[in-house]
Amino acid sequence: MKKKYIVTPALVVLGIMIGFPLFSMTYYTMVRTSTPEFCASCHEIKPAVRAWRASTHVNNAAGVVVDCMDCHLPAPQNTFDFFFSKTYHGIKDVMAHFLYGGYNRAEERNNAYAAFKNNQCEKCHRNLLTIPNRRGAMLAHRSVLYARTGYEKKCVDCHYDLVHSDKIYVMFRQYRRVPYQAKGLRAEKLAFKIRKEDGR
Amino acid sequence: MRRTLPCLVIAIFSTLCIVGFGTRAVQAQQPNFPKVKEYRIERSMPPQATACIECHRATTPGIFADWARSRHANANITCLDCHLAQPGDQDLAAGHDNYYHRSDLPYGQDQYKVPIAAIVTPKDCSRCHPDEVMQYTKSKHANTLEIIWKIDPWLNKGMNSDNERKTGCFNCHGTIVKIDDKGALDPATWPNVGVGRINMDGSKGSCTSCHTRHRFSVGEARRPEACDQCHLGPDHPQIEIFNESKHGTMYHAYEKEYNFDAAGGTWTAGIDYRAPTCAACHMSGSGKVLTSHDVTERLSWETQAPLTIRPADFKPFPAGTDWKAERGKMKTICQQCHGDSWIEDFYNGFDKTVEEYNEVYFKPAKKILDDLYGKGLLDKTKFFDEHLELQFYELWHHEGRRARMGVMMMAPDYAWWHGFYECKKRLNEFTEEADELIKSGKKAHIYRDYPNATGDTTRPAVIFGPQK
Repeated sequence: MKKKYIVTPALVVLGIMIGFPLFSMTYYTMVRTSTPEFCASCHEIKPAVRAWRASTHVNNAAGVVVDCMDCHLPAPQNTFDFFFSKTYHGIKDVMAHFLYGGYNRAEERNNAYAAFKNNQCEKCHRNLLTIPNRRGAMLAHRSVLYARTGYEKKCVDCHYDLVHSDKIYVMFRQYRRVPYQAKGLRAEKLAFKIRKEDGR
Repeated sequence: MRRTLPCLVIAIFSTLCIVGFGTRAVQAQQPNFPKVKEYRIERSMPPQATACIECHRATTPGIFADWARSRHANANITCLDCHLAQPGDQDLAAGHDNYYHRSDLPYGQDQYKVPIAAIVTPKDCSRCHPDEVMQYTKSKHANTLEIIWKIDPWLNKGMNSDNERKTGCFNCHGTIVKIDDKGALDPATWPNVGVGRINMDGSKGSCTSCHTRHRFSVGEARRPEACDQCHLGPDHPQIEIFNESKHGTMYHAYEKEYNFDAAGGTWTAGIDYRAPTCAACHMSGSGKVLTSHDVTERLSWETQAPLTIRPADFKPFPAGTDWKAERGKMKTICQQCHGDSWIEDFYNGFDKTVEEYNEVYFKPAKKILDDLYGKGLLDKTKFFDEHLELQFYELWHHEGRRARMGVMMMAPDYAWWHGFYECKKRLNEFTEEADELIKSGKKAHIYRDYPNATGDTTRPAVIFGPQK
């Protein structure tokens, strides 16, 4: 009887002693590896981080900084998705680095567009339907949020070359001479058919 | 005295009349100044947009007045929303920058300077109207330049001149717009609003073909007159066919009652219009059939092709459609005003026409032509330089289309006199001439010094990729 009173608390204490540091370390690792600085530790990613740092997603009057993982990973509160995605991409990138030499930025950009989901952007851009001074943008956003079957569109179909385009100077949102405009549908979105004849 | 009084009265009266008329005439002349369209900028817009409006209101009042009456102006969509170029865009109008250094212009100051593109393309329009542009981009309209470069001997055999193409073919089919290093548009490619224009940003076509600038009216595009600049003449007289049809007759009789400006998706047969226009059947939505900017979507036969085939089998540009589903859509459109038996019987007649044209007229003519090539009696190097080639061309490209389209859109004169009557005549004469060649074994006469056959035969690299 006495033994039982000792063993149970002892096991709990032992669990905490092992579990807490393990949990803390995992958590700390996740935090440490979620910074743009960490992303830039791979030389393949450096140009993207440099361009990001000069973009309006970093430089704006509200002081909001949108980090790599804010766009490129599921939200951390979706713990499982976040952990899974992050680990998967981490392993994949390291493997790719050692197994394949080349990194084609233009190609990877298109892969990223293909993989990007609208809810990534909508984590922050949640109020898109009332833009009184930009009626056109309002109209376009409606056609995305309430898409007709067959006309589903991604945010990145119109908003591209936005953050990771190389810049010769730092862009500040508040110093833009004219307001930002989406660029219109990307060519890939408009290329409906790839026809075999004529080598296309 | 007796006479003086009436004379005096008459004199005074006539003086008054003259003075009265005179002043009226002066009053009528007084406001005879060009009326200036007013616009007070009372809504928020960037100062650069204000500069565009104020300057162009003085320099190009027609453009300004058009825009001021448009739905764009209603929604506070300014010049800048469409014409603003992004840094690095291929179609920057570099010359426009000079206007910002002109002291004689009130807005000619550096602070208003923005990069501008003269040409607004479907890609620009897709910023606000993405679905319309997606539909349009897959249509034969948007890809018409590729289609003609794949099938047309005038281009591929160089049988007409570059200028004949620019002023004729490309006016409707579209040019491939080019710009020089200084940002000046190539005059051989511009101005142009062809439906298949290839723009420098890679997008295809021009929305202003049907929604002319700067009104961009939906009502305008719903009128048959929006289509008739291109869809007319001996080779595809759609507008003449429409005008002859009962649809056209009713349109002309009741046009004043039509409500052309109904909001998109609400234009309704029997309420907003009595008989359909081109757009009503080929584009507008109705019931469960949704509006489409792909004009080729609802077709069940390609009546423009040499041999009539289904749109999905049109080799130069196969449609991604199933003709049965599309015919179902078109029948739903008909059902707004017609009963089922009417529609079924109409389509039976149309299908019969297609079959007769294919089997009785086109296939025999094609067989004879191929025989003559096979026997070496006709020369295959060029097209249009032998009489029989022209005869064959006009059989399908002119009369054959008139017959098929005349039946489809219910114009009896085009179906018969301009259509099958001419087909009959042409096929008989064609056969007679061919028989004579075969009988005599003599090679056909080749037109010497073919006039103005100087056009470039290189398929454009923007469409077909670099030439091997």
